[in-house]
Amino acid sequence: MTLEASLAGQPRVSPSLAKALVALGTVLTLVSTFLAWTWTPDFPGDLSVNGYPGGNQWITLVVSVLLLVAVGVSYDVPGLRWIAPRGHVRLLRGLALANLVSTWYVLLAIAFELNGLANWVSGSWVAAIATLLPAAGSFLLADDRREPQRARPLPRWVQVPIIFVAIMVAMFVADYGISTGYTEEFVGFAFAIGFAAWGLNSSGVLTRLTALTAKNRVVTSLSALVAALVFVFIQNGDAYNSVADDILIFATVALGLNIVVGLAGLLDLGYVAFLGVGAYTAALVSGAASSRFHVAYPFWAQLVLGIVVSMIAGVIIGAPTLRLRGDYLAIVTLGFGEIFRIVVNNLNGQSGPDLTNGPEGVYGVPDLKLFGYDFGRTHTLLGTTFGKFGNYYLLLLAAMAIVVFIFARVNDSRLGRAWVAIREDETAAEAMGIHGYRFKLLAFGLGAALAGLAGTINAHLLNTVTPDQYNFSATSPPNSAFLLAAVVLGGMGTITGPLLGAALLYLVPYKLQFFNNKQLLLFGLALILMMRFRPEGLVPSRRRQLEFHEEQIAEAEAHEAVLADAQGAQEEAGAAA
Amino acid sequence: MTTTDFLQLVTNGIVQGSMYGLIAVGYTMVYGIIQLINFAHGEIFMFGGFGALAVYLWIPWVQHIPLIAALPLMLLGGMTASVLIAMGAERFAYRPLRTAPRLAPLITAIGLSFVLQQLVFLWYPQPAGGTAHLGVTAAVPFPNFSGKPFSVGGVLLQRAGLLTVVVAVLCMAYLAYFVSKTRTGRAMQATAQDPDTARLMGIDTDRVIVVAFVLGGAFAAVAAITYGLRFGQVTFDMGFSAGLKAFTAAVLGGIGNVYGAMVGGLVLGIAEVTTSGVLADYHVTSQWGTAWQDVWAFVLLIIVLLVRPQGLLGERVADRA
Repeated sequence: MTLEASLAGQPRVSPSLAKALVALGTVLTLVSTFLAWTWTPDFPGDLSVNGYPGGNQWITLVVSVLLLVAVGVSYDVPGLRWIAPRGHVRLLRGLALANLVSTWYVLLAIAFELNGLANWVSGSWVAAIATLLPAAGSFLLADDRREPQRARPLPRWVQVPIIFVAIMVAMFVADYGISTGYTEEFVGFAFAIGFAAWGLNSSGVLTRLTALTAKNRVVTSLSALVAALVFVFIQNGDAYNSVADDILIFATVALGLNIVVGLAGLLDLGYVAFLGVGAYTAALVSGAASSRFHVAYPFWAQLVLGIVVSMIAGVIIGAPTLRLRGDYLAIVTLGFGEIFRIVVNNLNGQSGPDLTNGPEGVYGVPDLKLFGYDFGRTHTLLGTTFGKFGNYYLLLLAAMAIVVFIFARVNDSRLGRAWVAIREDETAAEAMGIHGYRFKLLAFGLGAALAGLAGTINAHLLNTVTPDQYNFSATSPPNSAFLLAAVVLGGMGTITGPLLGAALLYLVPYKLQFFNNKQLLLFGLALILMMRFRPEGLVPSRRRQLEFHEEQIAEAEAHEAVLADAQGAQEEAGAAA
Repeated sequence: MTTTDFLQLVTNGIVQGSMYGLIAVGYTMVYGIIQLINFAHGEIFMFGGFGALAVYLWIPWVQHIPLIAALPLMLLGGMTASVLIAMGAERFAYRPLRTAPRLAPLITAIGLSFVLQQLVFLWYPQPAGGTAHLGVTAAVPFPNFSGKPFSVGGVLLQRAGLLTVVVAVLCMAYLAYFVSKTRTGRAMQATAQDPDTARLMGIDTDRVIVVAFVLGGAFAAVAAITYGLRFGQVTFDMGFSAGLKAFTAAVLGGIGNVYGAMVGGLVLGIAEVTTSGVLADYHVTSQWGTAWQDVWAFVLLIIVLLVRPQGLLGERVADRA
């Protein structure tokens, strides 16, 4: 080994030994999940059974299987190399860490909650030591990060199942996260997911999958739809459907906001008020007992009204402000969000005319009935029972599909490109003949309309509409602050970003009740840190990434150009010789 | 409504508006120099109030001297808190993003405003029988003047209200002197006009930006103390609506213009108080009254943006700082 390499911290262990260490550890971990990890069933999930895994052991088991696959990659098993185009060592490290942290978390939780290491049994020791081995082995291996090799294009009949399987797996992971029953399970799950995602991302397999989905958009959308439908069919009962409903509403609204913020670059801080406008409009004409309009319009009419009224509100707010610099919009929308709440509070017949029934809100909004299908009742479809939340899940899925469709089509259109141009440089865009104001107003109005759409459904889902549901910041979503955080965290200008952001921001506080009152603090920190270190979000949009890292990318490209020149010169010299 | 009633409303409006103006100066100075809406400024204001309160609560003898003598000490505490927070925000949150796309610092500012608000909400120490009770969930009482309000021809002026107006006048006089007469003030004007050229002329623009944040923070602390004295309480979320109003005031006066901030504050204060007062008086059930104060302020903002987006005084580049 050269001096230079040893200075760079290259390990002095032979790679084959390190690999063997990983493989051995993985197999041992796998075995340990079938052993008991503690003697008493007191620990949630009952880890006291020899013979089959339970509770958190399932997480360790699944990660270990993934790790075995990654070990296969490192031994060059044919067909597996596709998984790690940018090098397998980081994949190994990510998965090994996922296993290590998630497993050790459970083991330490056992020791702490049951008071003492005495509660460990032989299986716990096996798991504790076995998870250490792959982590040690993978970090002894030299990093093999490299530029991704171009894969042979897969035949279409392979591409389609890969996409389908990947999306179904993502759905099952989400389902597992939603239906985790106790804090330890969710934390272990979160650790495993976090490190595994890091490993998968830096091995390049996620990039590959993204490229595949981008090429087969119809298949991708259909698979996603199927996965979302399968989700509701595999639920036992309505409990987690209500969580899923909340996430869907949250995600739909976040996606609408992403058109405004992510595509057109207009910072809307009062977005939830448009949701409120839609919800109030629908509730008032839905035949609710406490509405002062004693009318019961059919749902489609409520929907149209909700959308139109929201859009009008959007235009009233947007028209004067969008002529000015973007900062004004931020503060005016923030003001609007606050004013909306005050206004609906005041239109109570006392301090103002009676319209919204003040702080009590409009209650008794009837459940939807579409084509004779009563959303409030329990139905049985294809052998699965659908309670109220299951029914609304289907409707919300349709709403989300509409928003996703609009987003995707607009993003690819002349309109979307105009928005991006305005976002990047309005003066330049206007010089190119784009009417900035008109396009911005269109984005703002469209965003408001989509929020109105979600609002009309939300009114029926919750059966009550009160001013407090539509705040700038509150401890539970949806509110303007959470929505913005979901978009920023997930990735501005993408579809998956806000979905992921919404799911994370909903689930983490929901599952981890212990930081209940620290949510806003953590969100604030998350916003600051994201802007500082990863402004493009968890799921970066290609355009955004280019924008935020202009300098680094330019540098890298210049470097590549120099390398290419040098190579060209060498080849020329070779040819001349 | 009698003339006296109306004058009373205008007086209340002037008091309220002076406070808006003091906060608005912070927004407008920072905006004038780096074109950033410092969303966290409302929280810097709030920190001023809690900083002053901390001096009052935690130094035992301060509570036993007359309030007017304790005020300078409280002011010192409030200013220290506000200025430190403002400087920290500039150094660690905004400066790294100075060349980033516009949306980035704005979102950072919102995040910062959450963090600052929650820090007080979760961990502000209040003395509770020898130990500290952490966190602020309800309004905390703030010391206020005892004694009758002054009466001028039937129009009542609370002691704290008078203090607010006097302090605002003093602060603005100092600011006018600072911006036009001192070396740093002129450097500030130069930076506002053209940062690159200013740097070429040997001005340390980083320092100028820090000075803008410091001054804004100090003024916000002054405003926060007058707020506490007038309302007899401070709350952890008082920065949100005060900040929103103050920004409205800054826009109203012409953002970037320090005199405009004060003018905008006064106009906004008078407009919202008189509008809701007059409307409440007009309707028997006091419809459209005080509960709508914020709404009228917002409507005024929309109207100004429609009719005169550059603000009442406009963005006079020469005076901008």
